[in-house]
Amino acid sequence: MIRRVIPTWLFFALAIAGVSVLLVSYEFLSQRQTRINPKQTTIPSFEKLGEGVKRMFAKQGTQENPKPPMFWNDMRATLWRLFIGLAIGVLASVIVGVLMGAYRWIEAPLSPIVMFLSKIPPTGMMPIYFALAGTDQRMFTSMVALGIFFSMTQSIYQAVRDNVTDEAINKAYTLGASESEVIFEVIWKQILPNVIDCIRAQIGPAMIFLIAAEMVVSDAGLGYQIRMQSRVLNMNIVFVYLLVLGIIGVVAEYSLLWVRRRLCPWFEGT
Amino acid sequence: MKMNIHYQPRFASLATLCAVAWFGGFLGCTGSKPTASNASSSPANTSATGSPQPAQPAGSTAAAGSASKPATFTLAWSEYPSWSIFGVADEVGLINGKEGQMGSIEKKYNVDIKLILATYDSCITLYGNSQADGVCITNIDILGAAGSRNSVGILPTSTSAGADACIVAGVNSIEELAGKPTRGLEKSVSQYCFERCLEKLGKNPTDYPFAQMDPEQAALAFQGKNDGISSIMVWNPFVMQSIRSRSDAKVLFSSETIPEEIIDMVVVGKDSLSKPGGEAFAKAVVETFYAMTQRMADPKTSDETLVGIGARFAKLELEDMKTIVQQTKFFSDPSDAKRLFSDERFQKETMPLVSKFCVKYGLTSTPVDLSFGDGKGLMDFSAKYVSGYSDGQAK
Repeated sequence: MIRRVIPTWLFFALAIAGVSVLLVSYEFLSQRQTRINPKQTTIPSFEKLGEGVKRMFAKQGTQENPKPPMFWNDMRATLWRLFIGLAIGVLASVIVGVLMGAYRWIEAPLSPIVMFLSKIPPTGMMPIYFALAGTDQRMFTSMVALGIFFSMTQSIYQAVRDNVTDEAINKAYTLGASESEVIFEVIWKQILPNVIDCIRAQIGPAMIFLIAAEMVVSDAGLGYQIRMQSRVLNMNIVFVYLLVLGIIGVVAEYSLLWVRRRLCPWFEGT
Repeated sequence: MKMNIHYQPRFASLATLCAVAWFGGFLGCTGSKPTASNASSSPANTSATGSPQPAQPAGSTAAAGSASKPATFTLAWSEYPSWSIFGVADEVGLINGKEGQMGSIEKKYNVDIKLILATYDSCITLYGNSQADGVCITNIDILGAAGSRNSVGILPTSTSAGADACIVAGVNSIEELAGKPTRGLEKSVSQYCFERCLEKLGKNPTDYPFAQMDPEQAALAFQGKNDGISSIMVWNPFVMQSIRSRSDAKVLFSSETIPEEIIDMVVVGKDSLSKPGGEAFAKAVVETFYAMTQRMADPKTSDETLVGIGARFAKLELEDMKTIVQQTKFFSDPSDAKRLFSDERFQKETMPLVSKFCVKYGLTSTPVDLSFGDGKGLMDFSAKYVSGYSDGQAK
């Protein structure tokens, strides 16, 4: 029967079984590939993956001039770019989205533009970003920020329009609220959980844009290293980096869920 | 949206679970399929995974039904004068790059050549991961790939004599370039050329930073006069395009400084060569190349072939292509190839230098074991297929 409840132990047992199947099949594939070509690096064994991890954390540079290990260097570059890009993108889209939802005369000129531009994949516009924003931090930031801006503005403006009822606004006016109070005390509070959910939904696309840009131009970062190491055929490092990308996504997802629970407990279960 | 959130946690984990299970099943299936249905699986699949155990018993019974069905071999290539030749060969019908379709040379050798056009570094990845039987690659980048796949260089196609160049704008001398980043493909032929030229010109390469950027994008950014990009190290067609599109751009130095050090070639995996039809594939590739160089030499077809190559790779006009062909010296005659591979300098100086470069930048952890024709090394430079072709022509 659809949605029939299964016991918790069974649920977890199945979850573990699923992951085990994945790991065993991977090992099987790796061994099969090694039989075909003993020197293969395409599907590295777990032992080779371990070596990859070791190389990721190995000290770089000379004794007098030590550099951070490859992995931390890349993580720092990527996370910083992601954070700045997301921060600017989210801030801008919240402001524009709320204003569009609140004022008809802002909504009218902007909504067709926002709707149209949100449909263009930012990765396709990469050469334009290079031309307008150069190749350093500014380019990554604008790529991520503009990449998420249009679709996020669209969702926030729809959240304001659909989730904030006329009654709530009229009540606030009746109780003597000013326009800014309506925006901050009624609209903002009402849509905050939607904003958090929007950020959750946008982390994936933001990562896509950032990794794509890093693959093309950068000398540090997860995307750079994935492209470089796959060209020199160190797939054991590439696989670990992909794993890390997955972990970043999961961590971001759960921390934002936690934030939403803390800030908007009323929202859970509605 | 709200409704979703109500039961989302459970839904999410369930979906993840399904995805994981499905993915595992998928891996399992693909893992077992080729062994179970080796004979009937698609030619591409067979050629890509390349089983060394001769699966002959099964193969020969299956072959009874399709006795003349040729094996498919894949050649990964990127746009470059002496490699775009294969793209033009496809256009003029010497070979047919589509799987299952044959051009005249393919018919002669009864082998199906499938062409895969990709960017340069994707070609390397494809080849190194055994997704392509042969690849168009330089003598520098092949050493990295040979670390994970024993390889044979079957055909040198050209050598760079100006086709790899450091192009600058607003920089007047090599001294002025010091400290300014040059953009190009790191740990590859570009960086090798960059460092070697500086060395030859009496400079210390460590004073000249080299920063990673995709060559095509670097050229675009340079042409767009982007801030911070005053120097790029790229290859043709990007060299030509960049010079053309900016009046203040000039070549600071180029691979002319290091003649016959950068060799463009076609490399085939040893595992692929030992497969049934592998030798025929190598011969067919060699014959295609020389058939095309003859077309370039023949006054009747020369211009049209050059235009064909140019149209494929950079929308360049005939005059530009004539320059490009000078900057990329083709090994148009089999004797050129034989001379190069037996050349003392190539064997004793150039390749050891390249090998050192590869270790320095971690392309390989130890120097790759090289050989020149005896097939012993992990990377063998063999003129065998070229000789076979020229002997065949002489008869």
